[in-house]
Amino acid sequence: MSKKHRHTISILVQNEFGVLARVSGLFSGRGFNIESLSVAETIDPTVSRITLTTTGDDAVLEQINKQLNKVVSVIKVVDFRDAEAVDRELALIKVKANPEARGEIMNIADIFRAKIVDVGPTAYIIEVTGGEEKVYAMVELLRPFGILEIARTGKAALFRGSRLLTVGPAEADREKRAKEHLS
Amino acid sequence: MSKSKSAPASHLGVATADTAAKHPLAGTTMSGSDMIMQVLADEGVEVLFGYSGGAILPTYDAVFRYNAAHPADQEIRLIVPASEQGSGFMAAGYARSTGKVGVSMVTSGPGATNSVTPVRDCQADSIPMILLCGQVPRAAIGTDAFQEAPVFNIFASCAKHVFLVTDETKIEETMRSAFELARSGRPGPVVVDLPKDVQIAEGTFKGTGLLEFRGYDERVEAMADQKLDEKRAAAFFELLSKSARPLIYAGGGVINSDGAQELRHFAERFGVPVVTTLMGIGAVDTTQDLSLRMLGMHGMAYANYSVEDCDFLIAIGSRFDDRVAGQVNEFAPNARIAHLDIDASEISKVKAVDWSWVCDAKRGLAQLTKSGAKFKKDFSKWQDHARELKKKHALNYNRGAKMIQAEFVLEQLNEITKGEAIVATGVGQHQMWAAQYLDFVNPRTFLTSGSMGTMGFGLPAAIGAQLANPGKLVIDVDGDGSIRMNLGELETLTNYGIPVKVLLINNLGDGMVRQWQDLFYENRYSGTDKTLHKKDFVKACEADGFEFSRRISKADEVRAALEEFVTFEGPAFLEVMVDLHEHVYPMVGPGAGYKQMITGPYIPARDLGKDDKGGGSTGGMF
Repeated sequence: MSKKHRHTISILVQNEFGVLARVSGLFSGRGFNIESLSVAETIDPTVSRITLTTTGDDAVLEQINKQLNKVVSVIKVVDFRDAEAVDRELALIKVKANPEARGEIMNIADIFRAKIVDVGPTAYIIEVTGGEEKVYAMVELLRPFGILEIARTGKAALFRGSRLLTVGPAEADREKRAKEHLS
Repeated sequence: MSKSKSAPASHLGVATADTAAKHPLAGTTMSGSDMIMQVLADEGVEVLFGYSGGAILPTYDAVFRYNAAHPADQEIRLIVPASEQGSGFMAAGYARSTGKVGVSMVTSGPGATNSVTPVRDCQADSIPMILLCGQVPRAAIGTDAFQEAPVFNIFASCAKHVFLVTDETKIEETMRSAFELARSGRPGPVVVDLPKDVQIAEGTFKGTGLLEFRGYDERVEAMADQKLDEKRAAAFFELLSKSARPLIYAGGGVINSDGAQELRHFAERFGVPVVTTLMGIGAVDTTQDLSLRMLGMHGMAYANYSVEDCDFLIAIGSRFDDRVAGQVNEFAPNARIAHLDIDASEISKVKAVDWSWVCDAKRGLAQLTKSGAKFKKDFSKWQDHARELKKKHALNYNRGAKMIQAEFVLEQLNEITKGEAIVATGVGQHQMWAAQYLDFVNPRTFLTSGSMGTMGFGLPAAIGAQLANPGKLVIDVDGDGSIRMNLGELETLTNYGIPVKVLLINNLGDGMVRQWQDLFYENRYSGTDKTLHKKDFVKACEADGFEFSRRISKADEVRAALEEFVTFEGPAFLEVMVDLHEHVYPMVGPGAGYKQMITGPYIPARDLGKDDKGGGSTGGMF
């Protein structure tokens, strides 16, 4: 009952101010920390997609999901189960790059298929995209060189396969087309 | 396009509920404030409660102009309270007693923050209410302007929905949507924050249109179309047929959905006794045979015993709240449980259930009754058992006492009103005694702050109810602690000649808290003893212009005084000095199960069964 799990939750909401406050309020009101968060418009500009991760008691999370479904501006909610979704996040890492370290840093970036997006006289900025573990591993490998600053995004997540989290008649149409395309 | 200037034409009908037909004022240019008034009129609002102030001035002016331009029978009556909390609870009393949306209109800043308590109270008890707040002009928002408060943020966590109208062209749709949101699905309060310049801005009135809420609208529509499928119906009647001792546990959802008739019909048809929550009082006629009245912390002993004894508990529009199921695992320990509720988040929130259906109580009960047309089972043995419990463990109190007992006062009042009055209460002992000793024949006649337990609720709620029900007897049964919280509203009664009867059960302190201090804090009355207070309530009422304001302190005066009091034509105040040491019984202590119920010195407890430990008349709690 009280087993804690990591949850990745995607919420489609009406794209209007205040929605994020209502959504995050449901977590903070129960003492849950939102560990990562991303919000952006979907292909339908009137709809935004919030994706967040949190860790907590499954029963409480189920209650939060149900409460989310009661928020007037919330359209749909999904709590992704393991392996149900593909998720990615992005990190920009500013790392010390002394002339003697540059080669190795570039090597690591290469292995991780990360990009060096800014080259300065003493530092590089590396952009890495991937699952949480990959970003974490990258950070650990770069740590010995001296990480000066790091900025990470929240997760973006989509269902695997043909399953969609979309809304509205236009979207339903798109869903149909997507199905046709995939079959 | 005809652009006649603002004032709504008086020759036009105001209450056109038919939005399919073109609105007679469609195409008219008017200010945001005039649009607000027009939507209120279209929604059938007869009374508006509220307190004016700088940021809401344009709309208060629109009220004045609207009423000046319309014949008396089409006016929207404005009732001004002593404080905004008062108007919020008046709107709530209006809504609770009718099922219609109550409206409170206040200014920005303190007007809004004074309304937080009634809004949260409405949310907690699922009451449809709208709070219209003035806000500083758009350009000043976020500048710490005079009388500015972050209304959206404050109310986001305690209302069903909040609108901040930043686009003046959306004001009309927003107002209409506020009504729709307040009353649809599980009802609740909706706050509309109205920047002053949005109220002033002129636009073309369309007379129709709602904002779109894709997810919410879909969910509400799906709910309205709910059909009980055969499998689910069969599963329910399977549980009922296997049961020998079924019991209905009905809550406020039955009343909110206007499902009282359906519930009564269902109970009669299948012969199932009914207990209700505090919020469910009136869902069944408490004078009827199948009614076992209220369960829970201060429920009837026989109601709680029947919960212990039942083998199938049918929860309808109720939510296993901690005042009902303090000890969840021990609640209805022998019963399979069915749960019918409009809110999916209530199913299995507290207690796992064997059968559930997300549907509003009215529709759900009607469909269940229909599906069970052929169902036949005789529950008369169980009904006899319930009758026996009712007789054996009837309410009782210290009848031999010298001092007036609060229970006696309410028992006497009940003999006079016979369950036909609308009763509002404060919160505390008097509230529980009112729930226990007064009968309620009809739904929407017991108005009480159930979930929030807001002291000060009674007087303003009674005012709202009286205005919504002009011909009816409305009584505020209040306590001396509670009434102080909104004492200013006494004046509102005489200002408007509202004939509410205020019955003050004065036990010189916060009785319920004192009771807990007796039980759990070794009689240390920290902050609750008011025996030395100098307040003279009778004089206070006289100062406010009450023509009937009286205090009694002898038991033999009670009946005659009550009779005069309830039949008095205008507002009346009667203070009864009662025994301050009495406790409310029965009592199931916080976090305790019904087996630990204390029935007190005057109600016979049940002989303990073999497996019954604890739960004697004092339960070892003293």
